Formats: sequence, structure tokens, C-alpha cells
Amino acid sequence: MLVKDYMTKHPLMVQPTISVVEAQRYMGENNIRHLPIVGKGKRLLGLVTRQTLLVHPATLGSLNVWEITRFLSDLTIGDVMVKAKDVITIEKDATIEEAARIMVEKKIGCLPVLEEGVVVGVITEIDLLAELMEMMATRVSGVRVTVRMPDQRGELAKLVSAISAQGWGILACGGVPSPKDPGKWDAVVKIRDVPKEEIVAALEKVEGQEIVDVREI
Amino acid sequence: MTINDHRIKTPILEVRDLAISYKTRKGDVPAVRDVSFEIHRGEAHGIVGESGCGKSTVAFGVVNFLGRNGRIVGGSILFQGQELRGRSEEELRRLRGDQIAMVYQDPMQALNPSLRIGDQLSEVLIVHRGLSKEEAYDKCIDMLNRVYMPDPEVVMERYPHQLSGGQQQRVVIAMALLNNPALLIMDEPTTALDVTVEAAVLDLIDELRREFDTAIMYITHNLGVIARVSDRAGVMYAGEMVERATVEEVFLNPLHPYTQGLMRCVPKLGLSKESSYLYPIRGRVPSPAELPPGCIFEPRCDHVRPQCGQTHPELREVAPGHFVRCSFAEEIAAQEWQPPEDLIPDLAALVARKAEAAEPILHLQNVRTYYEQERKSLTSLVGLGKKQYVKAVDDVSFEIPKGCTLGVVGESGCGKSTLAKTIVGLEPLTDGKVEFLGFDISVPVSDRDLELIKELQMIFQNPDSTMNPSFTVGHQIGRPLRRFKTVPRGQVRGEVIRLLEAVKLDESYYDRLPRQLSGGEKQRVGIARAFAARPDLVLCDEPVSSLDVSVQAAVLNLLLEIQQRYDTTMLFIAHDLSVVRFFSDYVAVMYLGKFCEIGPAEAIYAPPYHPYTEALLSAVPIPDPSAKQKRIRLSGSVPSALNPPSGCRFNTRCPRKLGDICETEEPPYRDAGGGHRIFCHIPLEELRKLEPIVTVKP
Repeated sequence: MLVKDYMTKHPLMVQPTISVVEAQRYMGENNIRHLPIVGKGKRLLGLVTRQTLLVHPATLGSLNVWEITRFLSDLTIGDVMVKAKDVITIEKDATIEEAARIMVEKKIGCLPVLEEGVVVGVITEIDLLAELMEMMATRVSGVRVTVRMPDQRGELAKLVSAISAQGWGILACGGVPSPKDPGKWDAVVKIRDVPKEEIVAALEKVEGQEIVDVREI
Repeated sequence: MTINDHRIKTPILEVRDLAISYKTRKGDVPAVRDVSFEIHRGEAHGIVGESGCGKSTVAFGVVNFLGRNGRIVGGSILFQGQELRGRSEEELRRLRGDQIAMVYQDPMQALNPSLRIGDQLSEVLIVHRGLSKEEAYDKCIDMLNRVYMPDPEVVMERYPHQLSGGQQQRVVIAMALLNNPALLIMDEPTTALDVTVEAAVLDLIDELRREFDTAIMYITHNLGVIARVSDRAGVMYAGEMVERATVEEVFLNPLHPYTQGLMRCVPKLGLSKESSYLYPIRGRVPSPAELPPGCIFEPRCDHVRPQCGQTHPELREVAPGHFVRCSFAEEIAAQEWQPPEDLIPDLAALVARKAEAAEPILHLQNVRTYYEQERKSLTSLVGLGKKQYVKAVDDVSFEIPKGCTLGVVGESGCGKSTLAKTIVGLEPLTDGKVEFLGFDISVPVSDRDLELIKELQMIFQNPDSTMNPSFTVGHQIGRPLRRFKTVPRGQVRGEVIRLLEAVKLDESYYDRLPRQLSGGEKQRVGIARAFAARPDLVLCDEPVSSLDVSVQAAVLNLLLEIQQRYDTTMLFIAHDLSVVRFFSDYVAVMYLGKFCEIGPAEAIYAPPYHPYTEALLSAVPIPDPSAKQKRIRLSGSVPSALNPPSGCRFNTRCPRKLGDICETEEPPYRDAGGGHRIFCHIPLEELRKLEPIVTVKP
């Protein structure tokens, strides 16, 4: 689960010399929200998002109607992009948790992925959500159970051994500190090919843990 | 839905209605017309077609490499959604270096012979990425490791000529991948390589595609290779794309008559011999300057209708994702194809031909052909040093019954051609005995009786280099007639015309010069010349390897037919196991100057196998995506014949090596019955237990 496995390789990129209008069209046509600007050897020069492309009204305030047209048509993507020194990037061998942390902290949706200054990919929040989806085996049908347990060593093992005692397999498993109950931990497991009732019956017997949610997906 | 559903949908390469013309003295030649296709990320798109159909022109168009007289006259090429047509040279150059890479057919021509591999590789990074020499060096070593190059540090110091063909191609692929391109164009990258090396390179390409998510445009004339590497494929004919679909659809459910014809032209491995007859496509590809007015395939099509000559069909989507350029594709697909009437009796006769135990006509016993190698030591300078020999053919014994064909297969450099040359007398025999019709022919050709020379003829691999460019076809075929006095002088012309007709050429060819002939026609003339003397034995040295599939099928059928008529015996050398199967009664597999297996053709293709035969069979690309092929890959290249491995010669690469015995003792031959002999230490019972390499669904 490293950035290089989940990023978009060979992202669409442009040179800084193209006009803003052209870049807008390019992003629209290809339905992308982030566009890295690269120079020779795919070195990162900057990044534009759809927001960066919005020209600030104050810039245009002092211009008359003809000047505005001229100004806009002469504007290149190099003029409006976020310059490379201000772009937050990530190395391709970083973990995706790291990518998520940076994106959450900086409140940004996209990180260009670099390898020694060369753009090798782009990772966006959508890539991380796709990864979350995969982690929870969303595309496979089964029973998804959330079990609340004390935040103690050995509790997850109890749950897992109860499942494996039945000879069932775990399709996906994840855990978070319980959002509403400090000192507790919520574990989500997904089990395939077993009826819901049987699972509930088996997991209810696990001591000190309670089932907070069961659903077939 | 898949995990990649949210990814960018824009194809890496999208070619729309592309048209390319070359300016010539006779005006513009439209080499490519109306070609459209797209390649997505991480996808391999094959482009297949015969020579001269515009495959490479499309590739050159994409990288704007058309040369002075070529230019794009219509359509558009979108790379990652950006138009490439009309870009400045500078922009294109940067794009090519950074995002598009190309691998050519001949690795030797892609590498600079006067620069060390290391310098050539690091130049890419230094120029395009501005890395320092040291950084570039480390990256190059990494990349060479990625393409499984043994000893990359040593290779970096070498010159291209010091590497084998397979290694050179690996270097070229490594060079192409150094900049992590989004699109990799490969123009016949494995055509110049041996099957075993080809298999390894194809595996490598497939692996790299997955790892780097690179889109690949794969150009080849070999249908088997396309079936192995690509996800989707387009079939080109005379500058147009006539069919485009997934590989499965193209091979299992071809809808265009040309694609169907191509499928019937390729020898298939795995089916029985009887069902593997080839049905050539009649006629020839029209030249781009004289295209038929309607459908371009109309003059050669078996399903032709009146409209075909008038309206030019468009490429249309017949089934989802399956595009065909034929007005009647649906009706044609529904019809059962029947071989043309005139072919049936010939083929029936071929089936009937079965070896009633004939007398052996050629008999070889312990034949050895060594080439003396000069040494540079002082003692050899004065003639005292120990002589070194390249053991090109070492202790080979076999016999061929009259009227039968022995196929000889093996990798390049295994001594196949030397064997043929030794029999025909072009190479002096070092040791052993060759008997032909009961006569000893262990003498060079210059000492042979004219009668004997007449009975032994040869067909060569490359028809271009075996014909005198300044003599007419008639003169060249007539020469053996005059020399051997096959017919009286006055009848030579008549006989030549009869021979021309036998190889399906007409009288008008009599006065033509070789340069006025196509490759297939030249090879026919070569065949006519070989058969002019009415020989008893014809040695064919790769007679079809340089020909296109449809021509190849025609030439093979022709050879069979002539063999039938004159009851000629043949020795047929090839590197393609599928061709040999179709053609031969007996097959011998040769490795490093020795036979490792010999037997009736059917027996060779089923267990028990010699481990080398097994590996060869596993490497042959099969033009059928549904066929299952077990995967055995040989490591390394053929060792030098100057100093062959001791014991079993195959021991250095054998995947089933037993142990010390293979290195110390020459393997005994094991008789598997019916004249099938295997030279291996592994007991026959174990070899029998091997699974068949190729399984084809019935």
C-alpha cells in the first residue's frame, strides 16, 4: 500500500507556455481537476487546479474592456500556476497513509508524485477513497459486522479466533477508536458466503464485545 | 466496475482518420489512409499486417519520423488528449524524449556501434533529465537489472557488438524505458531474434507493461506474437485498417475476409498434421499507387459481390468494440468457408501420400564439419600451437527415405545450415560418411560428377542474394538446364516456361529481371531453378523465413505439390517449429552441432520430449489466444561451438538437468519406438510422463 501502487501513472501534463484558455479547455475535455505543469525531462514547474484558473477580479479591475480580452488571451498557464516551490508533493515510495495525512493537514485534494524531481504520477483524494473501498472489499458481497470491544491487547484476536473456529474466512478487516465511546475500539470485519444469522449467533458469544451493526452488502 | 474506474479515461494515444502520403517521382503515394485506433493506459495494442501495408508508416507518423518525402495529409493524432499534428519540431522532440519511446526491429541499428553501452544509456538521462554522469550511471544499472540483464556492470562497459541479439534488444528496451514513457512504440522488436529469445523478450515486455503502466503500440507481421502480447489488435491491409477488435475476437471470430484468410495461412501448432493445411490468399497486395476503386480487398476476396467493386466500405462497428471494413461482414461470418475447388484435389493427394517404407536415399554417418579457428598465440604463429575448431556439425547420423522430407529445427548458430552445405558439398567434410543413392559423396562439390551435382539442388533463404540481378529470370532458370543437358538445347525455352508454370508464374516472367519481382515471386523462381535439373534431393535452407504469411503459405504448398509430382526427397531447414510440422515427415531437433531428438513429425510434438524440444515448443508464439501453452524459458544463449559444454551439450541451459552425469557423460540415445530417438540421460519413462506443451481446445 504505497503511493506508487495507487497513483495515476503517466498523468496528463502540459508545458508552461500554453494559454490559460487552452488549459481550461484541456482540463474540461479530459475531466481532470489538477494539472501538473512540467518542463524539460518532466520536471515539476507548478500545478494548477480549477480554482487557480479563476482570475481574481481585482487584477482585472484597473483594465478596460479591450485590455481585459488582451490580458486574458496573453495569459499563459505559467503565469497563474502555483509555483513548484509552493506545491506540496510526495515521493512515490511513501505510504498512502502519509499521503492522506498531508492532504488532510493541508486541506488539499491532490499531490504530484515525484521521483527525484521528476513527475511520475499524481495521487488525489479519489485515489485514497478507491483504496478505502478496496480495503473494505466493497465490490464483493458478504456480511459486514461492526463489533465494539475494549481497547485492550488480545481483543481482536478473540474476535478473529471466534470466526476462524467456525471455519470462515475474513474478506476484509479494519479498526478505528470508537467515535462515541472513549476507551473502546470498533472493528469491522467482512465475511463471505455465510448467512447473517449464523454470524450474529457466533459473534454474540464472544465475551466483552458487542455487535453494533450488521448488514449484508 | 473496477478499481480503476475513477482514473482518467483519455486514451494515451488516439489516432483519428490518419492519412499519410509519400511524395515520389510519380506523384503522391497514399501509404496510409483513414486509420483510426486508440490505446489506453497500460494496454498493448497490436498492429498486424503484411509487409508494405503501412504499419511502420503509422508508427513513424506518430513520432513525426516520416522522412523528407512523407507527410501527414489528414486526420489527427492525439497524445494524452493533445494534438501532435502541427506542433513545432522542438515541442515534438521534447515530447518524444520525455513521453514517447520507440524500439525498432534491428537492435544493432538502434545502438551506436562505436559507443559503450553505458555511455549510450546514460546519455538519455543526461540529455533529457539533466542528471549528472554518476546519477545517470546508477539509474542505468537499475534499469538493466529490471530487464534481467546478467552482469549489468560488465555490460555497461561493453560495445554493442559484444552482446548477443537478445541482450542488445534488452538494452534497447531498457533505454526506451529509462524516461518512463507513457507510450512505447515497438516496431517488430523480436523479428530478428530466435524463438527462445523472443519468448523471453515478450515475457519481459508484458511484465514491464504492468509495472510501468505503459501503453504499448506493438507492430508485427507475426500473428502468434500478437496473440501473446496484446489486448486488442488492428489488422492492416494496403494502408487501411480493415479490422479492429480484442485479440480474442480477431483470432477466434474474424469478420473481415482478409483476416479470415490470414488465419488460414498460418501453420498452427497443436493440431494434427492433416488439419493444418494452409490456404494461401490468391493474388497480391495492390500497390498504393494503383488501388482498386471499391473495396481494396475486392480483387482477392472469395466472397466478392457486385457492389464491392464500386463502393469503398467504411470501418464500422459490427459488434461492440469490433470494427470491420467490409460491407457484408455479417453475412460472411455466418457462412462456412470452403477451400477453393482447385485446392481440394491437391490437398487430398497430400493426405494420401503416406510413406510406404521407401529405400533411404541419403545416408549420413557420424558426420563432422569443423571450422578451423585461428589463434593469436605465438606458438600457433609458427604452426606449433594446438588447433582450435568450431564444431559446427558434430557426429550427426540420419537417413532420409526416398520421397520424404526431413525437417531440421534449432536456434541460430546450431549448425543447421552447415549441415546442408556439407551435404551439398559446399563445406568440406571433416570426418564421417555421406552416402547418396549408394554413392559416397564425402567429396567437395568441385570434385563431384556432374550427374551427382544435378541430383542435389538447394533452395536458399534469401532469394534476393541468390539471384544474379543482371540476368533475366528465363536465363537463370535455363542455366541448369543447359549445364546439365536436361533437355536438348532447342527446347530450353519451352522447358523454362513449363517450370515457370509449375511455380504458378506465367510466360511473361521469362524476360523479367529479378528487381521486377516481389519477394514471393523471387522465391518461386529460386524453386523453379532448383527443380530445373529434376533433382532427387533438394535442400531447402529456410526457404520461407523471409516471406509474408500469405506468400509463405503459397510457397509451402507449391513445394509440397512439386515434391509430390517429382517424388523428390527434401531436407527442410527452419527455425519455426510450426512450419516444419506442417511440411515434414520426419523432424530432427538440432542443438550446438548435434541432434538431440529425431523422429516422425507427429512423435516430436507429443511427449516424450527432449527437454530442448520441450523448451522450443513452449517458446513458439501460437496464433490462437485460446491455446494453452506451458511456460518453459531457457536462460542464457547458445554456448560457443568453439568450446562446447562437456557431456550433454544442453546441460548448461537444461531445465531438467539431472546432475553431474549430464556434465560428464554424453547422453545415450533412447529409442521411443517408430524411429523416434531422444538423446538424453533422463529415462524414457519419465520423459513420457511429461505433460503436452500445447493444448488446443477442439
